[in-house]
Amino acid sequence: MHQITKIAGYVTIILAVISFNFFLPRFMPGDPLSFLTGAPGMDMPIVLDEATRAKLLAYYGLDKPLLQQFADYMIKLMHGDLGWSTYYNAPVSSILAGRLKWTLLLIGTSTLLYIALGIVLGAISAWNRGGKSDVGLLLLLLSVGSFPPFFLGMLLIILFGVKLNLFPVFGAQSPFMAYSSPVEEAMDILHHLILPATTLVITHIGGVYLLMRNSMLNVIGEDYILTARAKGLAEWYILRKHAMKNALLPITTMIALRVGFMISGTILVETVFAYPGVGMLLFDAVMYRDYPLLQGAFLIITLVIIAANFVADMVYLRLDPRLRHD
Amino acid sequence: MTEKTIELTDLRRLWDTYSEKRIGVIGLVIMLVFIVMAVFAPYIAPHDPYELYNPMEPPGPDHLLGTNDIGQDILSELIYGARVSLFIAFFVSIVSGLIGTILGLLSGYYEHVGFFIMRIVDAFLAIPRLPLIILIAAFMRPSIWNLVIIFTILGWPITTRIIRSEVLSLRTRNYVEAARMLGAPDSYIMIKHILPNVFPLLVVRLVVEASHVILAESSLSFLGLGDPTAKSWGMILHYAFMYPTIYISDVWKWWMLPPGLCIVLTILSLMFIGYALEELVNPRLRGMTQV
Amino acid sequence: MTLLKLKRLRTCFPTRDGLVKAVNTVDLEIGANEILGLIGETGCGKSILGMSIMRLLQPSTRIEGEIIYKGQDLLKLSEAEMRKIRGKEIAMILQNPATALNPVLTVGDQIAEAIWLHQTMTKREAREKAIEVLRSVKIPSPEKMANECPHKFSGGMKERAMIAIGLACNPALIIADEPTRGLDASTKEQIIKLMKEVTEEKSMLFITHDLDAAAEICDTVAVMYAGELVECAKTGDLFGKPLHPYTMGLLDSLPCRGLKPIRGMSPSLIDYPSGCRFHPRCDYASAICEKKHPEMVKVEDRHYVRCFMYL
Repeated sequence: MHQITKIAGYVTIILAVISFNFFLPRFMPGDPLSFLTGAPGMDMPIVLDEATRAKLLAYYGLDKPLLQQFADYMIKLMHGDLGWSTYYNAPVSSILAGRLKWTLLLIGTSTLLYIALGIVLGAISAWNRGGKSDVGLLLLLLSVGSFPPFFLGMLLIILFGVKLNLFPVFGAQSPFMAYSSPVEEAMDILHHLILPATTLVITHIGGVYLLMRNSMLNVIGEDYILTARAKGLAEWYILRKHAMKNALLPITTMIALRVGFMISGTILVETVFAYPGVGMLLFDAVMYRDYPLLQGAFLIITLVIIAANFVADMVYLRLDPRLRHD
Repeated sequence: MTEKTIELTDLRRLWDTYSEKRIGVIGLVIMLVFIVMAVFAPYIAPHDPYELYNPMEPPGPDHLLGTNDIGQDILSELIYGARVSLFIAFFVSIVSGLIGTILGLLSGYYEHVGFFIMRIVDAFLAIPRLPLIILIAAFMRPSIWNLVIIFTILGWPITTRIIRSEVLSLRTRNYVEAARMLGAPDSYIMIKHILPNVFPLLVVRLVVEASHVILAESSLSFLGLGDPTAKSWGMILHYAFMYPTIYISDVWKWWMLPPGLCIVLTILSLMFIGYALEELVNPRLRGMTQV
Repeated sequence: MTLLKLKRLRTCFPTRDGLVKAVNTVDLEIGANEILGLIGETGCGKSILGMSIMRLLQPSTRIEGEIIYKGQDLLKLSEAEMRKIRGKEIAMILQNPATALNPVLTVGDQIAEAIWLHQTMTKREAREKAIEVLRSVKIPSPEKMANECPHKFSGGMKERAMIAIGLACNPALIIADEPTRGLDASTKEQIIKLMKEVTEEKSMLFITHDLDAAAEICDTVAVMYAGELVECAKTGDLFGKPLHPYTMGLLDSLPCRGLKPIRGMSPSLIDYPSGCRFHPRCDYASAICEKKHPEMVKVEDRHYVRCFMYL
């Protein structure tokens, strides 16, 4: 029953996002094409050739009634047709497909890292509450957490990329590189990944850390921790075996929501590092006022996040023994 | 029942407890500096931020932080930038806080309304904020007021959820039940009994939201979607970022670092204030850490 | 043979409202195979006394005096040495099994981890031992229940599981803190019967505010009031001819004796009344009770009381 409500909720949200994506350009003053051809206030008017213009017109289908337009839009979406990019002059879906893997790589690695680190540091902090390590960690993580990701990225570029010359400062791979082995390619990709991933980890670790610390402070006061102490178990063992899981349960869904916030950071970080993911694409689409691309990228990003939240919900159901059996 | 009259001694006691948290006092001091900077910008700034001088001048006696690529005085831009960032942050956090509180009160108090509002809130919270802001901003003419509208639309759901869950627990308290049995109208109970009790939570929320808005505004401006006519810190960074040799020459030291640090310090001060307030209003955390 | 001896034990800890003096100069002895009941109203410091012996209180707590267990002072041990005592030598059964069992670990694991820690055996052997212990506390189909988390256990079964955790390493002394609290009458009866059985060759400090339970199970009973002992005697003597007005009051408040409550409220552990701490509520109080604090005196063989009436 619980799962059905959850799934229904997700379906509604996906539908809401799709409808929003459909109606937004149509409800703006003027019509979508007037934006494309340089509406007043735009700093960069776009000149469209006739062929592109025709493709766009066909995609939006503005001459048909609104309901018909919506139905067509949905059908095209089912077939993976996200429209035609005016800047790249290619189907939006194929551009996105090429970019998505880099974003997933970047988000995947940094998410795993910042969640794991945040949880461990939060637990350690709470366990030593009021002590030097707790106060130190709290101040450090609150401080680094207030760096906007784009500013932090620029600082890391200057320090590690330019001054120390340790890491490449843009792209996901070295350009024009012929790899002699897959290992070499992987190393090159990893080398490019380190700075952007570090930026994301630093900007997001504070949130998870604080959640875990607060949750852990609650758990520490629980009777079963006292029971564990009364058994003569070592502190470290109690922390790991008795406290961590109980502290994690109530914050799983909140951590999952943070994965959603994460995408904001990714857009900025990809832009700063010219990392060729969907976020960078979003920035390009804004720069060149490529609206179909913008909307396509938005849709994909949102769906990825909703999927991540869904997975987190399911994980939560498996984690809590009280929910697993019922 | 609960007589809510705030007297001077109460405020005094509140301040005493607050000032126990060093972190909160530090935050407050930093914030005050920025507020003074914003309010008295025309008197503090050495130049008109829109006036054009020699472009790309390094720091000197005339331009303490040099000039940018079109010759505007960077220090003056920074000082005026405090106005834009702080105005948007406080305005949005107060307006969205107001909307969120009203909807939170209603949805916590009336079950059916609550169910309906919470579905909308869930939908808003499931959609990532920055991409949505970018999408809307891309379709609207960038201006300060449009930014304010967008941030407000996206800011209320979290407040609504927080207020609602508090109202749900307050609703079952004895004094609320008693007031209801005595036949007090709903509006009276909400304003007289529930509102004063959600207020501390709301204050914390406003501070947190303000820091989110600062971050969102600077991000959007950094991406070039801010108000091009308004000087904000994110906008200064946007132009610095677009400058081709920003990393390899020394320019970043006076063009990129100062606006970035201003954003960092503002967010940091709000986070410190929020943290101290939260320990103050959340008895569960009280006294756990003396920072 | 004395197993545990408390000498002038004092426990106090700071709070926002002031220093809580929870245990005040308590002298107490538990012999081998003896079951000592510690009774008193809620908030008299009896649970803190139990926790003091285990050294399980917050780091800010000050414990003074001596806790001599098998000839060594527990207060002089390092934290690591103390961990070897907990669970293995002295086990504690905490109150409120609903929250004292970890909700996300199986009951079997919660018993086995203590066994595995204190005795050299494999995890597998520890697990089998845990099932054995569960059987000894009469949990039905222990092999199956060992794999379940606590939410599958009823209130009485949780209490049995708590007892099993206490018994896991076969300790010499068990400190049981309100093990019968919140149980219905028939379950309570069973738990007391069980505790009697499993402590046949052990010593136990039985902390309770339930006089019936204490009368049924204890060899000796000590009465605690406002952080200090006011009377201590063999169970039969204490219930047969109570000497201290507070003990009399406690007995009179039992349903079978007319449900007469003691007037007034128990004092806070921060500010005690002057003189005898019980005098504001005492029907026999005289002028001296208000001014002087009485010492514990021996009235008969193994019957001690703290009251001016017997000086």
